[in-house]
This record gives sequence, C-alpha cells and structure tokens, in this order.
Amino acid sequence: MAELPSAFWSGWVAVITVASLIGVFWLIYSIYFTKGGRDAEEPSPVWDGNLREGEHPAPLWWFWLIFASLVISVIYLMLYPGLGAFGGALNWSQGGEIDRRLNRYQTEFGPVRRLVAEAQLATLQEDAKLMASAQRIYDRNCAVCHAYDAGGQANLFPSLTDAAWQWGGQAAQIEHSIRHGRLAVMVGWEAALGEPAIDALTDYTLALGNGAAAGHPAEAQYMQFCAACHGADGSGNPLLGAPDLTDDASLYGQSPAAIRHSIGQGRSGEMPAFGERLDDAQIRLLVAWLQRS
Amino acid sequence: MNAVELHRKLERNSGLLIFGILFVSAIGGLVQVLPSVLQDDLVTPGPGTQPYGPVELTGRDLYIREGCSTCHSQQVRPLLAEVRRYGPYSKAGESAYDRPFLWGSKRTGPDLHRIGGKYTDVWQRMHLLDPRTVVPDSIMPGYPWLGERAADADGSIQSKMRALRRLGHPYTDAEIEAAPAALAGLKEVDALVAYLQALRAPAVETTP
Repeated sequence: MAELPSAFWSGWVAVITVASLIGVFWLIYSIYFTKGGRDAEEPSPVWDGNLREGEHPAPLWWFWLIFASLVISVIYLMLYPGLGAFGGALNWSQGGEIDRRLNRYQTEFGPVRRLVAEAQLATLQEDAKLMASAQRIYDRNCAVCHAYDAGGQANLFPSLTDAAWQWGGQAAQIEHSIRHGRLAVMVGWEAALGEPAIDALTDYTLALGNGAAAGHPAEAQYMQFCAACHGADGSGNPLLGAPDLTDDASLYGQSPAAIRHSIGQGRSGEMPAFGERLDDAQIRLLVAWLQRS
Repeated sequence: MNAVELHRKLERNSGLLIFGILFVSAIGGLVQVLPSVLQDDLVTPGPGTQPYGPVELTGRDLYIREGCSTCHSQQVRPLLAEVRRYGPYSKAGESAYDRPFLWGSKRTGPDLHRIGGKYTDVWQRMHLLDPRTVVPDSIMPGYPWLGERAADADGSIQSKMRALRRLGHPYTDAEIEAAPAALAGLKEVDALVAYLQALRAPAVETTP
C-alpha cells in the first residue's frame, strides 16, 4: 500500500477527534434543550397506567457533567499531545518526562552517590543502612548464582564468603570482576596426554591439597603442563583466574572424579559484566559488603 | 435536525441503527489503530535493531509456546524506577521484527526485555530446566522437556524465515540456506537461552 504522508494521518486524527467532541456536544445539547422534546403529534405509549416516555427529563446535572468532561478534554488537548502531531502548549512528551526525571535524580542523588563511590570501604561497612542497601543490590543481581547466603552453589558458582578468590580478593580485583566480568578457561588435557597421565595428575592435585606433593611421580608433568598457570607450588594465579590447588575450596567439586574431569576435559567459567547495570556507588557498596568481616 | 429526531429515525430502522452502531464503535479504531497500521514510520526498525537469527527465532517461538509472556513482560516502561532497575526503557522501533510483539502486561516474574547478558548461558539453562536448582524459593515452573527435544524437530525454520521475509524481514538467501545448519544438534533449551541472551538494548554506535 502506498504510504500516505504523516501530515495526512495527523490531520485525520485531529479532524476525527474534534468532530467527535462537537458531535457529543450536539447530541447532549439537543437532547436537553430542543423545544418540545418528543413530538406532540405522536403520543407516547403508556405503561403501568401512567408512565409515559419523556415525562421525566434526565436530571440537568447529567448535562453539566458531560459538558464539563468535554471542556476538560478540550483543555487537555490544548496542553498535551493528542491532536495528531500537535504536541500541546506544554510541550510535554513521554521521553522528555523520563529524561527530566533521570536528570533530577542525577542532580539530587548524584553527589551523594559519588561520595559513596569514593568512600573508604571501612566507612561504608560501619553504616548499617548502607550495608542493608548493599544486601538488596546483592539479592537482586548476584544471589541467583552465588546464592542468597553468598556461599555459592551447584559446584558452578563460587562462594564469596570463603578465603578463596579465583580472580583475587582485593577490593580492586573484586571490583574488576563485578564491573567487567570474568571469563575463565581451563583446557582439557586428556586428548593430548592420555588417560594414565590424567590419572597421575589427578593424584598429584589431590596430593597438593594435602601438602604431600613433594617427590610425587607426576611432579615433572605438573611442572611441564600445569605450573605455568597454577604456579610451581600450586598456589594459583589470580591474574589468569587460575585457582589455588592447595586449599580445600574447589569450585567444581572436591572428589577425585570432579578433579579428574577438570584436568581431562577442561572447564570454562563465566562471570557476566555488571558495569552497565550497576553504577559506581552500587559496585562500591557491593565490594564493601563482600569484604565486611 | 436535532438529536431527538435522529434518534427516532434510528430506533425505527434497524438497518440504519446497525450502521450507526458500527460507525460509532469504529471511531476509536479509526483514530488509534488505522494510522498505526498504515504509517510505515511507526514500524521502522530502531537504530541497531536487527532481525533474529535462526536460533533466536526458534527460541522466540518456544518462548511463545511455553507461555513465558503470561508471567514476564518485555516492556521497560519510561519510569524512573523501571529504568533504574532494568535499563533503558523500551522503544517502539525495537519491536519491528517481533511478530507478534511480546510486550505483555503482567509481571509475575521480572521484565525480560533487558535480561540478555545479565546471567550466563549455563545459569539460564539450569534455571529453565529446573528453577529450584539455582533459586531455591522460585515459583517459576520447570521446563525439563526443553532439554530433551531437538530445536529444529519440525524442520520449519526455513519456511518461517521465508514467511518473515515476505513481511519485510531482510533475510538473505544465504542466511535462509544456512539456517538448518545453525540449529543442528541444538536442544530447545539452547535456542531459548540464545533468544533470552538476545533480549537487550540495541547496540547503537555512538560517535566519539
């Protein structure tokens, strides 16, 4: 269908709207104020002995009620958008309204949010109200993965309450994880090294956890294939997201089978970036909340 | 003529009365619906809005099949609280490739129009199959069968894309040709997760 210009449709809407308003006025005016009302030459039927059509005119305040709503409609259409492309005398728009509110929010709360974003963590942690806000931010954004008690879950989403931080537990590192997200990749070694080597390395990893790795037969292989990321002593490298293998916090499970799977098939973990969903103050509060004692 | 005479004419002639009723009821549609349907600039894709790829398109149909829109809206309203909670408010041009649109009007769960990227694919998958595995107090039903059925079980993706192309979605022959390969091996849940991850504010190139 050939497109008609916007101006046509603007006029179309305006004309029908105005015609409707005039039509309603004409309808109520002539019903109330036509001389004689129903014609006299044709008598009304009679019901129940004495009830005739037109005997009791509708109350006059009905007329004024409808008339008042017409007046209000006209005033509204003069002030606000409604008559086709005419934007109204107040120049109001939905987009302008939300922009104004966002601006006012920024003006009113911007300075205090900046204060929070730049505050010392200890200062924030002392404020019970701010910590309650932080918990709400956590519940709304983080809890469905890391669990409401921040203890992690499903052997996929790490605990935020223990001492183990795959990407580092300092404030700046936690902030980076929240703001930019993290992508962790552990390659699988089974295809390259074969099953016996994977079994040996699994055993070595378990030994690392027990502090009994020294002199282990798989030590040479560990040094060759694993130490570059996890460190010669197995203490990990937060810069690479390579976890500490000497502690007892193993994200994907502590069992030999889980560890064997990690080494043989590899793992990949993802933390989404929240830098566009949360502002600086919210991220600062989260860091303070996560580091509270 | 006054309204009383008109009324007398109408109430004694049923043909005229029917016409009058239809005319009065049509006024709202003539003002509100007709211009929106016939005016191209109201259905033009907004900046950065792209048609769904075959996987997302399949996921969208699953979203409709499972009735997700009964509990989840896809419409961030231009209100301060909504923009703060969900992100940029929804604009008409974003729905140009949604047939039908899935704005919804009821939120038992949260709005999903900006859900893409908030959670990982792994989480979305677990949550769809059995929400209680990750959110213990969730009231959302589980959809375990999504993990069992193949995403292109009925092999209809190419005819779907051709039908949409007829309605103006700019799919190329090559894209339609490659569609079944994109879906090969995927379960329904994979397609639905891909669709959910695509629900985000369109990327608009900003001039530096």
